Amino acid sequence: MKFLNLRYEFDWGIPFREPFLGWLITGVKLTLIIAAVTAITSLVFGTILAIMRVSRFKFLNIPAKIYVEAVRNIPGLFWLLFFYFVFPQLLPFGLTDIVNRYSYYSVIAGILGLTVDNSAYVSDIVRTGLLGIPRGHIEAAVSTGLNRLQQIRYIILPEAFRTILPPLGTRMIHNFKNSSLCMAIATPELTWATQQVESITFRGLEVTFLATVFYIGLSLAMAMIIIRLERRWKIDMTSITSMKN
Amino acid sequence: MEFLFEQLANWKFYLIGAYPTGALTGLVLNIVLAVLSIIIGLFFGIIFGLGRISCRRYIRHSCGFCVDVVRSTPLLMIIFWFYFFLPVVGAKLHLFWCAVISLSVYAAAYQAEIVRAGVLAVPLGQMEASLSTGMTRLQALISVILPQAFKMMLPSFVSFFNSLFKSTSTVYIIGIVDLTRTGILISQLKPNRIFAAYICMAAGFWVVCYSLSLAARILEKRLGILDYESYKPEICREDLVLLPLPKTVKRFLVSQK
Repeated sequence: MKFLNLRYEFDWGIPFREPFLGWLITGVKLTLIIAAVTAITSLVFGTILAIMRVSRFKFLNIPAKIYVEAVRNIPGLFWLLFFYFVFPQLLPFGLTDIVNRYSYYSVIAGILGLTVDNSAYVSDIVRTGLLGIPRGHIEAAVSTGLNRLQQIRYIILPEAFRTILPPLGTRMIHNFKNSSLCMAIATPELTWATQQVESITFRGLEVTFLATVFYIGLSLAMAMIIIRLERRWKIDMTSITSMKN
Repeated sequence: MEFLFEQLANWKFYLIGAYPTGALTGLVLNIVLAVLSIIIGLFFGIIFGLGRISCRRYIRHSCGFCVDVVRSTPLLMIIFWFYFFLPVVGAKLHLFWCAVISLSVYAAAYQAEIVRAGVLAVPLGQMEASLSTGMTRLQALISVILPQAFKMMLPSFVSFFNSLFKSTSTVYIIGIVDLTRTGILISQLKPNRIFAAYICMAAGFWVVCYSLSLAARILEKRLGILDYESYKPEICREDLVLLPLPKTVKRFLVSQK
């Protein structure tokens, strides 16, 4: 490696030495937990927001629109910092103390911040799916005697989720990658662990390399799974169009 | 309300910091970072985006590999790579340039996808027509295909610029004093004014991003609706061969098969 003028000798033992290995494993676990939990919460919250946005009632419609416009135009990092530093101050006095003493608050703040950020995007995606449902399907549901809630549960949501699966999957991969931002608020997830190793041993490259491989591998795996699901759940459009005629 | 007005007395710090005397910080630094990296990223994005639809398998796959690797790495990891790896190689760069490089790598990968989708959306007949008028492939690409593709890509470029601008807030982690860091610093200086400082920080990002998204919407309306959803991209198209290789190389590759 002389030609690169490297002033660095790689020591691949570092990530597997004891205190560091423990941190990295905790980091991987926490990254997966944060990504999974935020994916579920933002999906639920985003779907509720999307249903609010397509509704006719103004008191549902306008707040959801304001929320989405506010959140989409502010970086996700801001929401993490907000929930870590500012949100405890807004709570009633007794609660602030409890939150400040709770040692895992950074994890909760990370989950809250990522959920707030991601749900706005998810709601936008779900909304396009909802608007794309043919009017005839809803009319058919009405004529079979389903009430509004049953229509949403059995007809609208399953159909919408099938069509929006690719953009939704991309968003979830984004969310997984964004979980690395949690290191800004000292959540002990993977990126934070690599930085900790770097700041203690000054040998960050090996650990950063392993972490990057982990992120790339898992993102690509998620992309593969989404492509598989998309293929499996694909609606045979030819039968639908023939029915229309 | 009063505490907010008190914060607004610091508007200069939120916008440009102590610029004429000190370093440029604040919101303007975010804008400068985003503009620089999107311009550098566009240059490499065009190369990689056209490489991804090249007919030659090795070009297509190697470009696709690079783009996929960058796209599936968190921005923070890219920033750390350049922050820690550049000194190892021997490049002593200012933090600002470190941030610009990592953001432009990130931007290039995403813009490569936009360029690819835009070029593939140009009808096939355009290339055939320009070839039949006697243009070479490169001429046709530069003077016929790319202008049309750019017109279609413009809305997605604006919305990507929006998202890149938001992503520039990430660089505060390696110690650049941008709007995020300014807000944090001011909130640390005056802990009882933390709320106002965060509102100012959010407002700075919101105003720029909202005007950008309005611009994207207007552009979309003016240029006509683009429906990328209905459009099925082909992986390889015979007419879009970039990098015409010398014949000896071609022969070598063919005989290898």
